[in-house]
Amino acid sequence: MSDSNSDSNSEPSFFTKHEFAIRRLHSLTGIVPLGLYMCVHLTTNASLLGSVEIFQRAVFLIHSPGPLLPLIEWGGIFLPLLFHAGLGIWIAKTGRSNSSQYQFTSNKRYTWQRWTGFIGLVYLFLHVMHLHGGIHAESWMDAIYKFGFGQFSPYNAGSSLVNAMNLGYGIIWPVIYLVGVLALVYHFVNGIWTAGITWGLWISPKAQARATKICVALGVVLTVISLAAWAGAVFPGKEDVAKMRAIEDRMYEAGVVAGTVPENEHKRDLRGRAAATEESAAAADGEQASTGTTEPAS
Amino acid sequence: MIALDPAANRPQFINVRVKRQDGPGQEPYWQLFKIDYEPELNVITVLQRIAALSKTSDGKKVTPVVWDCGCLEEVCGACTMQINGRVRQSCSALVDTLLKDNADELVLEPMSKFPVLRDLMVDRRRLFKALEKVKAWVPVDSYYNMGPGERQLRAAQEQNYPLSQCMSCGCCVDACPQYNKIELERKKDETDEEFKKREEKAWDKAFVGPHAISQAMLFNNHPTGKSIAGERLDALTAPGGIQACGNAQNCVAVCPKEIPLTTSIARAGRATTIHTIKKWFEK
Repeated sequence: MSDSNSDSNSEPSFFTKHEFAIRRLHSLTGIVPLGLYMCVHLTTNASLLGSVEIFQRAVFLIHSPGPLLPLIEWGGIFLPLLFHAGLGIWIAKTGRSNSSQYQFTSNKRYTWQRWTGFIGLVYLFLHVMHLHGGIHAESWMDAIYKFGFGQFSPYNAGSSLVNAMNLGYGIIWPVIYLVGVLALVYHFVNGIWTAGITWGLWISPKAQARATKICVALGVVLTVISLAAWAGAVFPGKEDVAKMRAIEDRMYEAGVVAGTVPENEHKRDLRGRAAATEESAAAADGEQASTGTTEPAS
Repeated sequence: MIALDPAANRPQFINVRVKRQDGPGQEPYWQLFKIDYEPELNVITVLQRIAALSKTSDGKKVTPVVWDCGCLEEVCGACTMQINGRVRQSCSALVDTLLKDNADELVLEPMSKFPVLRDLMVDRRRLFKALEKVKAWVPVDSYYNMGPGERQLRAAQEQNYPLSQCMSCGCCVDACPQYNKIELERKKDETDEEFKKREEKAWDKAFVGPHAISQAMLFNNHPTGKSIAGERLDALTAPGGIQACGNAQNCVAVCPKEIPLTTSIARAGRATTIHTIKKWFEK
């Protein structure tokens, strides 16, 4: 331990005294809410492969709590994540991986669990900044939008997502997402397996082997869902974006009239629209041709 | 086996690379020894040959390599060391088998998680202190006749017997990525007692290790030993308890007695879960 030279008469810290409970909480937060949330998130995103409408409907539903949403985000996702990640880094630092000396499968899994945790944390920071923006303050969102962050507009969910993935030559973000999401799927599934031992759910080697099979199956299913979510965001092109946006706008306007969608212009992709209009105007000027296919700015 | 096969090409010499250290806290260094091949050697005999030779492969006169051993039949754990990168007992490590895996040389290193006293000899006191921490005993002093003990069910016997085979050799902790070496240096103004106290305090905060968790489960499953089951579970949820386990499961893979250590760890996980929840609501 690093604090071996501390005063030998001092009381153990709150953390040291309650390390057992705190680490059980770490184990729990990894599954509920974080892992569970990840499953819901990936499945929702995979629905974009079904149709723009299904995905947009799901996002409307998620955004239906309105002003309560930031509370849910922070209480249910960001704070548990910061706790899980912070303690996870500390836990990783208490161990010394030796999987090159002892090349047992479970030992490699131990090492990967730590690496995927690190990769996942960096990825999640990038992901939240890239799409969500972190905080909803308008001035902040305006500022980071110019640098390619805070790109997601919940009321134009599909189109703003596809646009955001196309930034950086349409290759940088897709690669980051693929690596990050698959690392987190591994981290989650392997985490369930170790949590089952930690809490004493599967005890005998046979039970642990059965649990491994179930976890592998879950991992395969989640990987397929992840790839579907990834494909739904990466494959559509520029022309698809305009079609998606028209559908989303129609759903928004109808939703507002019907009273099922809380009116909120800030959740629409106004920035992306402005940028697209500017771009197409510039292109039309440059080409000196009026045959450009500029979509009407609604 | 090479030894029993007369037609096999037997090597003339055995190269033995030893990681040496002159004293606690000093820099380790490597020396290469060359001994004549003999069939059916174990690593202890190799070390005896090296001691008799006291010469490195390039003829330099050196002090004999120091090592520890006791029973010579894999039940005391004293001769545990890292052989070809894997922790095990040197008495039961047969050279002919080792040469089949690596014909070039034998590599001998001291255990990696305990302070080296000299060469291959380490100070394993922390290992035994962990057994004290979890009260790995049956709390009777045999002063009064307490009558016959409770009958043990066959199933319980079968669960306990493998755990009782633990010889506290330390292989499990040496391979464990969550069990780190603690090597304190004595301060100039410190008495023996003060230093010992500081050392024990450092051990107490650090991970107890799989062997202690398994012994706690053994005695919690014992008809008389279970009378202090709660105290053992308290020790396992204290700082350095079972929560430090990272489920790498190296312990069970390297255990020379094939003790189901990870089963014990999972059982301890369940027992501490229930114990903690009960305690929480009984406060």
